[in-house]
Amino acid sequence: MTTSSATSGESSGAPTLIRPIDHSYSRARRRQQRISKGIAYVLLAITGLFFAFPLYWTASSSLQTWQELRSFTPHLVPEVPQWGNYAQVFETVPFARWLLNSFLIIAITIPGTVITSTMTAYSFARFNFVGKNVWFILMLGTMMIPSTVTLIPQYLLFFKLKLINTYVPLTIGSWLGGSAFMIFLLRQFLMSIPRDLDEAATLDGAGPFRILWQVLVPLMKPALTTVAILQFLTEWNDFFAPFIYLNRMELFTAAVGMRFFQFLPLESADPRDHLLMASAAIMTLPVLLLFAVAQRYFISGVVLSGLKA
Amino acid sequence: MATLAKEIGAPPAKRKGSRLRRRENLYGYLFLTPWLLGFFGLFIGPGLVSLYLSLTKYDVLAPPQFIGAANYVKMFTDDELFWPSLWRTFYFAGLSVPLGIFGSMFLAILLNMKLKGVGFYRTLFFMPSLVPLVASVVLWKWLLNTDFGIVNQFLGDMGVENPPGWFSDRRWAIPSLISLRLWAGIGGTQMIIFLAGLQGIPDSLYDAAAIDGANAWQRVRHVTIPLLTPTIFFNTVLGIIGALQTFAAAFVATEGGPGFATWFFSLHIWKHAFDYWNMGYASALAWFFAIIVIALTIVQMQLSKRWVFYYGE
Repeated sequence: MTTSSATSGESSGAPTLIRPIDHSYSRARRRQQRISKGIAYVLLAITGLFFAFPLYWTASSSLQTWQELRSFTPHLVPEVPQWGNYAQVFETVPFARWLLNSFLIIAITIPGTVITSTMTAYSFARFNFVGKNVWFILMLGTMMIPSTVTLIPQYLLFFKLKLINTYVPLTIGSWLGGSAFMIFLLRQFLMSIPRDLDEAATLDGAGPFRILWQVLVPLMKPALTTVAILQFLTEWNDFFAPFIYLNRMELFTAAVGMRFFQFLPLESADPRDHLLMASAAIMTLPVLLLFAVAQRYFISGVVLSGLKA
Repeated sequence: MATLAKEIGAPPAKRKGSRLRRRENLYGYLFLTPWLLGFFGLFIGPGLVSLYLSLTKYDVLAPPQFIGAANYVKMFTDDELFWPSLWRTFYFAGLSVPLGIFGSMFLAILLNMKLKGVGFYRTLFFMPSLVPLVASVVLWKWLLNTDFGIVNQFLGDMGVENPPGWFSDRRWAIPSLISLRLWAGIGGTQMIIFLAGLQGIPDSLYDAAAIDGANAWQRVRHVTIPLLTPTIFFNTVLGIIGALQTFAAAFVATEGGPGFATWFFSLHIWKHAFDYWNMGYASALAWFFAIIVIALTIVQMQLSKRWVFYYGE
């Protein structure tokens, strides 16, 4: 999925021994091609602006004073960058605590998802057990069912077990197989690894556990990285579950905390748009950093190896 | 689904020894255990409990009291927000899913045109999808702020007399959410999936079309789009399931307001479950909703046979 071949499209005018039969036709075609490329560049620039401006505006607004933001002529660039806004976010609300809580949940769920969805995928990809097709269809079917159906009884269960305001309800699912989508992704990836490797290892006396751990897992690294990143994004973004299960401020995740921050009564009645924008920027920053170091796992074929089925 | 079943693999071959078969069963189920526990403990079990609760009156304090189908009768006859919330959910999904599919496909085709700088634009288009949902809602509310938002200031400069109130206007609240969803969604995974689909189309088909005299639009219309139909189908099914369940965006932006304008079905369920503690009634709403979503997905799978084209099959 590399798109570096920017030059390969321009080779239609290469000199050839056989002259094109209809000169005017091919010239018209080339002109038509140049026009459509011109239009494409214009469209790229316009849509690029549509995507980029709100991002720029977050950064810019987060560095302005609220008086600047609420003046009737918008300031595209802050007069004096107010870096203090960021410090003020951490002083006004326990944002550092919320970020740490989010990271804690991520630290619990990533190993859970990686380990148990690998096991599930291994089972589906490599063993011919009774009822396999039925389980597999049922697993894919879980993607169809709205989560609200299971949410209410799950809540009641955790309520009875006195686990509200703990991270157990938010993390246990990841240790029990994780999401169907990730299992599917890993299974597809495993199917693409030749079975000869397993068989060779079997002849060497390795059992299924050693084959998985020593032969397959090292080969699955790109897919496992993708799963870990997807899990990070899911938990970092998740709003509904932490919102339902956590109602003590010090336990909030960053996503729930940010929503709370919008309406939280503060000592000063000043508008807090600049602080909200700073908190939005703070929440976005870890994801952008992750993207910067692991870009190929976000937008490369690795993620999609499973979807081509 | 047919291709899936084919691919899952043949049942254990007869000639294999029974010891081998026992081994396959043993390890197959061994590795499946965590998922099976989750499937029954967090999915099937709760699903059945919720089905039972939907036939009861249950406020958590007193034990559930069996009332038959009364909850289901109530939702159709005695819940003034039931039909409006259902309608709003479909209005939102019905607009945002097709627009999102069209937008993602458009961007992917644009990026696939072998232009200079596509790597840069691909990253740029993708970045909004990285912004956490709650953060993008806060940002969008600020951009579309009635008095101080840059969008309305720009519209004012352009001479628009009464710019919309966006999130604070009943008529504009859902379109505002749709615009947020498009910004945050069309350049994301969905676009990447389309790009992968586009790159799977063999060049020879375009060459053949060009030789037959097809112009750029005709090549898109008669080569690209037919060959992308499996991708369109995949994105539509997942898109509809996701859009119908929208909760966080509407809740964080407007809490279902103004005047219930963004009171989606998932908010309705949430309100009855976790604000009124009508767990029985909320379970009935959730089951009704699940049946609608499942039915819609099945209908789409049936209809897909008429319009989805699998190249090379």
